[in-house]
Amino acid sequence: MVARGKKRAARDRETRIPSPPGYSAIPIKFSEKQQASHYLYAREHRVREGAQSSWPQKRTLFVLNVPPYCSEECLSRLLSPCGPIQSVELQEKPDLSESKKEPKSRFFHPKPIPGFRVAYVVFQRARGVAAALTLKGPLLVSTESHPVKSGIHKWISDYADAVADPEALRVEVDTFMEAYDKKIAEEEAKAKEEEGVPDEEGWVKVTRRGRRPVLPRTEAASLRVLERERRKRARKELLNFYAWQHRESKMEHLAQLRKKFEEDKQRIELLRAQRKFRPY
Amino acid sequence: MGPASAEEHLRRAAGEPEMMGPAMDGTVQGGKKMASRKRTVAGSLVDSLLQPVKLSPEELYKEPTNEELNRLRETEILFHSSLLRLQVEELLKEVRLSEKKKGRIDVFLQEVNQRIKKVPSTAETELIDQAWLPAGVRVPLHQVPFTVKGSFRFLPPVQVTIVGSYLLGTCTRPDINVDMALTMPREILQDKDLLNQRYFRKRALYLAHLADHLARDPLFGSVHFSYANGCHLKPLLLLRPHGKDEHLVTVRLHPCPPLDFFRPCRLLPSKNNVRSTWYQGQSHPGDGKPEPPTPHYNTWVLQDTALESHMQLLSTVLSSAQGLKDGVTLLKVWLRQRELDKGLGGFNGFLISMLIAFLVSTRKIHTTMSGYQVLRSVLQFLATTDLTVNGISLCLSSDPSLPALADFYQAFPVVFLDSSGRLNLCADVTASTYHQVQHEARLSMALLDSKADDGFQLLLMTPKPMVRSFDHVLHVRPVSRLQAACHRLKLCPELQDSGGDYVSAVLGPLTALLEKGLGTRLQLLAHSRPPVPEWDISQDPPKHRDSGALSLGLLLQPEGLSSVLELGPEADQPEAADFRQFWGSRSELRRFQDGAIREAVVWEASSLHQKRLIPHQVVTHLLALHADIPDTCIHYVGGFLDALIQRPKEPSSTGEEALTVAVCCYDDLSRLLWGLEGLPLTVSAVQGAHPVLRYTEVFPPAPVRPAFSFHEHLQERGLLLPRSDKPCPAYVEPMTVVCHLEGSGHWPQDAEAVQRVRAAFQLRLAELLTQQHGLQCRATATHTDVLKDGFVFRIRVAYQREPQILREVQSPEGMISLRDTPASLRLERDTKHLPLLTSALHGLQQQHPAFSGVARLAKRWVRAQLLGEGFTDESLDLVTAALFLHPEPFTPPSSPQVGFLRFLSLVSTFDWKNNPLIVNLNNELTAEEQVEIHRDFLAARTRLPVMVLVTPQDRKSSVWTQDGPTAQILQQLVILAAEALSILEKQLMDPWGPGDIRTVFRPPLDIYDVLIRLSPRHIPRHRQAVDCPAASFCRGLLREPGPSSLMPVLGYDPPQLYLAQLREAFEDLALFFYDQHGGEVIGVLWKPTSFQPQPFKASSTKGRMVVSQGEELVMVPNIEAILEDFAVLGEGLVQSVEAQSERWTV
Repeated sequence: MVARGKKRAARDRETRIPSPPGYSAIPIKFSEKQQASHYLYAREHRVREGAQSSWPQKRTLFVLNVPPYCSEECLSRLLSPCGPIQSVELQEKPDLSESKKEPKSRFFHPKPIPGFRVAYVVFQRARGVAAALTLKGPLLVSTESHPVKSGIHKWISDYADAVADPEALRVEVDTFMEAYDKKIAEEEAKAKEEEGVPDEEGWVKVTRRGRRPVLPRTEAASLRVLERERRKRARKELLNFYAWQHRESKMEHLAQLRKKFEEDKQRIELLRAQRKFRPY
Repeated sequence: MGPASAEEHLRRAAGEPEMMGPAMDGTVQGGKKMASRKRTVAGSLVDSLLQPVKLSPEELYKEPTNEELNRLRETEILFHSSLLRLQVEELLKEVRLSEKKKGRIDVFLQEVNQRIKKVPSTAETELIDQAWLPAGVRVPLHQVPFTVKGSFRFLPPVQVTIVGSYLLGTCTRPDINVDMALTMPREILQDKDLLNQRYFRKRALYLAHLADHLARDPLFGSVHFSYANGCHLKPLLLLRPHGKDEHLVTVRLHPCPPLDFFRPCRLLPSKNNVRSTWYQGQSHPGDGKPEPPTPHYNTWVLQDTALESHMQLLSTVLSSAQGLKDGVTLLKVWLRQRELDKGLGGFNGFLISMLIAFLVSTRKIHTTMSGYQVLRSVLQFLATTDLTVNGISLCLSSDPSLPALADFYQAFPVVFLDSSGRLNLCADVTASTYHQVQHEARLSMALLDSKADDGFQLLLMTPKPMVRSFDHVLHVRPVSRLQAACHRLKLCPELQDSGGDYVSAVLGPLTALLEKGLGTRLQLLAHSRPPVPEWDISQDPPKHRDSGALSLGLLLQPEGLSSVLELGPEADQPEAADFRQFWGSRSELRRFQDGAIREAVVWEASSLHQKRLIPHQVVTHLLALHADIPDTCIHYVGGFLDALIQRPKEPSSTGEEALTVAVCCYDDLSRLLWGLEGLPLTVSAVQGAHPVLRYTEVFPPAPVRPAFSFHEHLQERGLLLPRSDKPCPAYVEPMTVVCHLEGSGHWPQDAEAVQRVRAAFQLRLAELLTQQHGLQCRATATHTDVLKDGFVFRIRVAYQREPQILREVQSPEGMISLRDTPASLRLERDTKHLPLLTSALHGLQQQHPAFSGVARLAKRWVRAQLLGEGFTDESLDLVTAALFLHPEPFTPPSSPQVGFLRFLSLVSTFDWKNNPLIVNLNNELTAEEQVEIHRDFLAARTRLPVMVLVTPQDRKSSVWTQDGPTAQILQQLVILAAEALSILEKQLMDPWGPGDIRTVFRPPLDIYDVLIRLSPRHIPRHRQAVDCPAASFCRGLLREPGPSSLMPVLGYDPPQLYLAQLREAFEDLALFFYDQHGGEVIGVLWKPTSFQPQPFKASSTKGRMVVSQGEELVMVPNIEAILEDFAVLGEGLVQSVEAQSERWTV
């Protein structure tokens, strides 16, 4: 393994590191100690004509295959020699469509465990992107001046971080609920206002809150209605009254038996194939 | 254990990329994956997957033919269901002898007949002068004492007749025997041959001469001696054909006396035919004692004289009725599966045929009955008739000279007389064998009546070896020790009767002794029948002491196990002396609370584990006291596996007590929660949802008392943190408790808002518990941790309607419909199903005290095999519960050992592909519902997980196996279980000790591609390892409670954190296997499919690199960097990363 690694390293020095078309490969390692390195595949962030993107064109570097131990801060530090950086965002997958980002609560949406991720690095100037694409590396995630925690040390600090501050949690819950209550109150007020008022085409919205409440519009409720109908109809039907009914029920019984017989035969066939009939 | 086959299996899986498909992430090309999955399904359907049957309407509704109607009617009348009928027919086809083979056997029999007639006669010699016998053959009989009067000469038999099952057509495979009766000419026998084994000596010499001549014949592949039904006075000659037919048939030659040669009145059970003066070798000149009767000896002679008459009787009864023959065959299979039919006193096919003849004569069976009905009637008869009390007889004559049944009971425990009224067919059957037969018949009847779908399978196809059917097994070895026991128990007359066979002489008294001593603890005591030996004609017959060990099986009564007291009679009663005599020094006078003074025996046992082993103490004590068998000669197999679920420092308990302490603490907590004042909504239910609270946690929690100096403090929050310069602190897993709050109109109708309200409740709960009860609490958004009496509980507030809210989807028309989402399913599982399951299993533990032990052993084993993470805790608990709720054809286990063996057997033999495992908790599912479940299962098979567990609460979706196991993991478990079962059974049945019982708990490591070795310093549960380490690290616990209580470090297990990271990062590339109970190694298997070079794709670059392959640029895993990542991610924990195979080279 070591031998292979060395050979590859030697070859890498001579030739360019292979990279997919449009991307450039930047080797990255955890620290000096490691022999082999992962490769970041980076290119300028582009979207198709007409599509919207939340990242600024020209200034954004799109990076694939960011190793799990490389955090936002870390990546920002590693790429800062190329030019001042505005923001770094790490994601599970490249986001294809435009997605709105809500601020996530620290208490209710704990950070997921990192795997290999993709990064969007926004430089302040477009020059930064070009500089980053020519980086030779290998980049080192953890250096003596900026050690990165991993293993035991990381877990211990994670454990300490996960201890929630009850006060902060309470404040967050209270603000959220206040906003929620306000929203609900507004909606109700609006609904009350609209109650019984025809819209421009003359339709009146009937709601549960009106003077004469109606069935809730749920699937369960409509199924219940159907079931009730069916039962009502079944009660009225006469069974075993006509001769053809007799005949048919007999035939039905026979058909059931036949079906059962076929099923049984299939099972037997299977058991026989598995040699399940050998009592020894 | 078994690395070879396991490895082979995994390699095979590696060779079939589509098999790995479903195990992998969906990031591979969607279309391709779908196609491959379809192919897998289609491929496996052909070989082994059931499908719902589709018949066209024309086929279903065509006019029935007469034949079809007849068959349907017959099925309805004669069989239980059409499936059963087909199964029975298949089975009969399998075990019956084919016509082709019959032809070959007939030819062979004719040859044998001719050869026997041609054997030359010899000159007359004294019986003791055996010099005429050639050197190559030995007399197949122990001639003790040797001297006996009389003379012998060989003359060819006057008649050779075929008797037994071959002619009756009830012969069953696999061992096809043809019995030939050779009638010895009158000239050989003398008047007094009945006396002192003379007849048997002549019989043996007769066979020896025959053997000598037949062995020279090239027709025979092998000529051996054996015993007739294991009777040591009656040897047999076994002839097998030469060449490829060697295993086709065994011809057994029984010499027998000519008809009416012996006077039947001399052979009554009360008569003596072996004189003590002769047998004991010294003269007792007229001490006036009457000679003891020799009932067994007499019976053995009688059996020889009655061979032909029995044959005639059976052929008149059976010949015309195919149903009866089928019945005999089915019963033979039934007995064989229960190991009841072999050896001396076995309940063999002949006995069953005679029993059927009896039932026909009493009109309990009619000749038009089907085989299944005969089976049922015989089982019904056996289940309800106790032949040890009410004997039966085939004899119709009312001759006053015939002995009464009572006379037979003087000599035999079980009585079933033949048509002559003189021969007891069950002479050698011991009472405990008959009770075992009865017990089995009762179980089988219950099974047949329950209308279970797979009754046939359980009744006739499931073997019941002793170690798997009995809770405890004990071996007495060496057998020669029993000879001393015979003398101690004063069994000389019996020895004289049985010709020195001390094993069978002592069996009856010994089992009676133990049955009396074990009393209420015992449900059934069974003994193994020593195997019938077979030996070469040039050798002496095997000695009694070579017959292996005597094994006894104990089926325990769970109710009787809880008491440590054996209550005797009051001290002044006359029975008190008997009691003292029976228990010897263990019997003590005790004064009881009600004032009575009684004799009593008290056994030392404090924990359930020790109470379960009281029978061991009883057996050892009684055998030493009464039978002179020291405890070194008794090997008691009952608690060997318990060591694996004992906490490292507590060898006296298997943890049930510790679990009870935790459960009591939980009960206290729930009472506190109920009584909490100041919550805006009241608590509507408190439910446990953790394995501890259903008694299935492998290692029960102990109260934690953390040492402060070992941790960082966070004083203002009252909790402790791990320190990086110390070994990892003890692992404390909080026990989850679900706390339901009442419904109210004030709950918001929005999922996000409900979450916030719940968080507010968590905070409030923590506050109130601290204020009102002074408990240390820690609240987060989803749970509140509470420290109570050293146990940590994790209370989760739940709102009943929340899953509903998560499910609501509004359609464009404004219709609100309910659709399952992953979040709603998860929530429903955690707050609804899990508490229900926990309480149901808690109830099960109250009914079956062994449940906890079995469940924990089973889980321990699965985890020790590194497969623990493939299965949820609950799924394994449910499989164990199935053993208790559906024990058929066994009884519910009463010891962890037998339960664990059955767990292995269930896992390895259950057809997971075609059947859901129905666990009928609280017996809520009716038979019809189960049929329906089965049908739904077949229809939805491809959408369901590979392992489907159905409970009354969860009839369709199998919630506990949704996320695994994958097909490969399950298959691996099945293979490992089959192998472990056979190894473990062999170990436990080895009379000289089990060897290393932990063998089956050690995983094969050579199947993994990479091994990551971990440093014990950071494995908090290191001491729980299967091979407990001699030394481990201090985990910062105090022996005594500390001054104040801070919240200990919760759920901090570095190996688990490490695994979570590995799985997240390398999920696409590899599988990781680890034993959470102190494993020191993580096994890594590369996924073969991800090693195929792939074209570049932005969404699947994880951990890969681009290389140029020829002209193309492709992506392959960057193995070298990944191996280094393993070490980087686990810095401090990982000791070394060993790549075991070169398979990853791309």
